[in-house]
Amino acid sequence: MRSVPRSVERLIEELNRLPGIGPKTASRLTFYLLRSPQEQVQALARAIGEMHEMVVTCSVCFNIAETSPCPICDDSQRDRTMLCVVEEPLDVLAIERIRQYDGLYHVLHGAISPIEGMGPEDLKIAELVERLGKNPVEEVILATNPSLEGESTAMYVSRQLATLGIRVTRLAQGLPMGGDLEYADEVTLTRALEGRREI
Amino acid sequence: MHLAHLSITNFRNYVRCELDFSSPITIVQGANAQGKTNLLEAVYYLAAAESPRARSDRELINWLANEEQPPFARLEGRIEGSDAVREVSIALVNASDRLQKEIRVNGVKRRTLDLVGQMKVVLFMPEDIDLIAGSPKARRGYLDSAISQMERPYARSLHEYNRVLLQRNSLLRQLRDRPSGTHQLDFWDQRLIEEGSQLIASRLNTVAQLDELVQEIHTRLTGGEERLRLIYRCSLPLEGPEGLIQYRQLPLGGASGDGTSLAEALPSSADVSTVFRQQLAERQREEIDRGMTLVGPHRDDLRFLVGGVDMCTYGSRGQQRTIAVSLKLAEMDLIRSRTGEEPILLLDDVMSELDEDRRRYLMAAMHRDQQAIITTTDLHCFTASFLEQATVWGVQDGRIGRLA
Ligand SMILES: [Zn+2]
Repeated sequence: MRSVPRSVERLIEELNRLPGIGPKTASRLTFYLLRSPQEQVQALARAIGEMHEMVVTCSVCFNIAETSPCPICDDSQRDRTMLCVVEEPLDVLAIERIRQYDGLYHVLHGAISPIEGMGPEDLKIAELVERLGKNPVEEVILATNPSLEGESTAMYVSRQLATLGIRVTRLAQGLPMGGDLEYADEVTLTRALEGRREI
Repeated sequence: MHLAHLSITNFRNYVRCELDFSSPITIVQGANAQGKTNLLEAVYYLAAAESPRARSDRELINWLANEEQPPFARLEGRIEGSDAVREVSIALVNASDRLQKEIRVNGVKRRTLDLVGQMKVVLFMPEDIDLIAGSPKARRGYLDSAISQMERPYARSLHEYNRVLLQRNSLLRQLRDRPSGTHQLDFWDQRLIEEGSQLIASRLNTVAQLDELVQEIHTRLTGGEERLRLIYRCSLPLEGPEGLIQYRQLPLGGASGDGTSLAEALPSSADVSTVFRQQLAERQREEIDRGMTLVGPHRDDLRFLVGGVDMCTYGSRGQQRTIAVSLKLAEMDLIRSRTGEEPILLLDDVMSELDEDRRRYLMAAMHRDQQAIITTTDLHCFTASFLEQATVWGVQDGRIGRLA
């Protein structure tokens, strides 16, 4: 005997797969949607569907965008002598928000974490080395998170770049250890960027 | 250090309980399963943010009393220290799928690392005999909690070390199948050595101090029959003729024989890291084959020797129990001498397990102004003069009241 219709159960299961959403929250959201007006629910469904159709990964920096190359890579006004390496697209957003950095980016899509099975080959590190080989810059800023995994990634990347003869810097300490760049406040992030040091 | 007020909400079998500890010694009498241990567990939890016995913090929330959504438990304490008064609180909230632990010190949200050490306690329960008879893991855990209370950087290093260890073990297992990536170990090796050497150096120092303090205590507890030595057995080759630790026989007086202080004789964290680095290099292949980290503080042990005989393996129950008492009393002295604060002593129904002489010794070992919260089934375990200076409460079914 089934206590809820199959379609309701399916949505609960799908929502439950999202990060931070457990079975109880998934049920609550599902029943909220069930009671919501038809138009609102359809707008949500369309937004989810279209996001995947519209969004691509930039073939140069691997940030998410609706065009490739992305607006940042395509912007001739930006400083092409600096490249900032981050873990996630959200980190680009965080650094853009403080308006202190005008260079290019490279998104690794994660950090080295053996527990999660994330090795260097799962990140866009080979792509970074290749990119810098073709289009050298004067400085690479490693802006991975101030966590064990972020530090491990920064050390690995800096070794890969050692032979290229590029100045490699790391964000200054002062970001809360274990925290995410994404959640750092603007003053802290600005200071970390200004106080960056050579590795 | 004095816990002046304790407020308990929905913790174990307590629904709501407000306690004022006015005199240094409080004795709580009650039958079994009424809430004696739960009370001491609450005080310990407020000090360490971990339970000495629960496998999961979830167990701590009183579900039956709880009509609220989401279910929660809360502990609040006012601690009068030598320098300041602190309000500490821990709330456990069972929010849909995960348990949230919210710690506050003076109303400000803090991490566990910031709480530990605010209130220094020494807990003594009958199960502590397992410290001697049980697994190395239990003894490492004991050392870790004891040192964390006294050294703030220790708790941070321990937390970091455990995370590095998990990552490194995962990587070692992965390297079994693709041995070309061993250079990826560099970062994790470096962090393992940095944090691990701090931990080992701190433990060596603490064990040496406990060893010194325990001499007089254990000799008196055994009527001069036994001489107890504490040995930190390290997975790194620090011992032996060429190693860094030379265990010297301490004379009964306590001071070291050749005039050098203990601190000078012990290896520093820099000494330890040199040996640690050598070992990781030497054993890399073996570690990859076995998929785990084979040396480090997570493989060490604390052993107790009487007349050269290992009491963890060969001690009688009686000997092991006495060693546990000696160890806790030495820990109390150590906290006192190292931090200048009187630790709060929590004794969970321990008296009934001891003979007359040891009971008297234990009662005498408490300092006049030291706070002690003691549970018992039987008030006859205490001398009349001890009872006279104590506040005596009764506990029944999660409710505490003054005994008539
Ligand atoms: Zn781009």
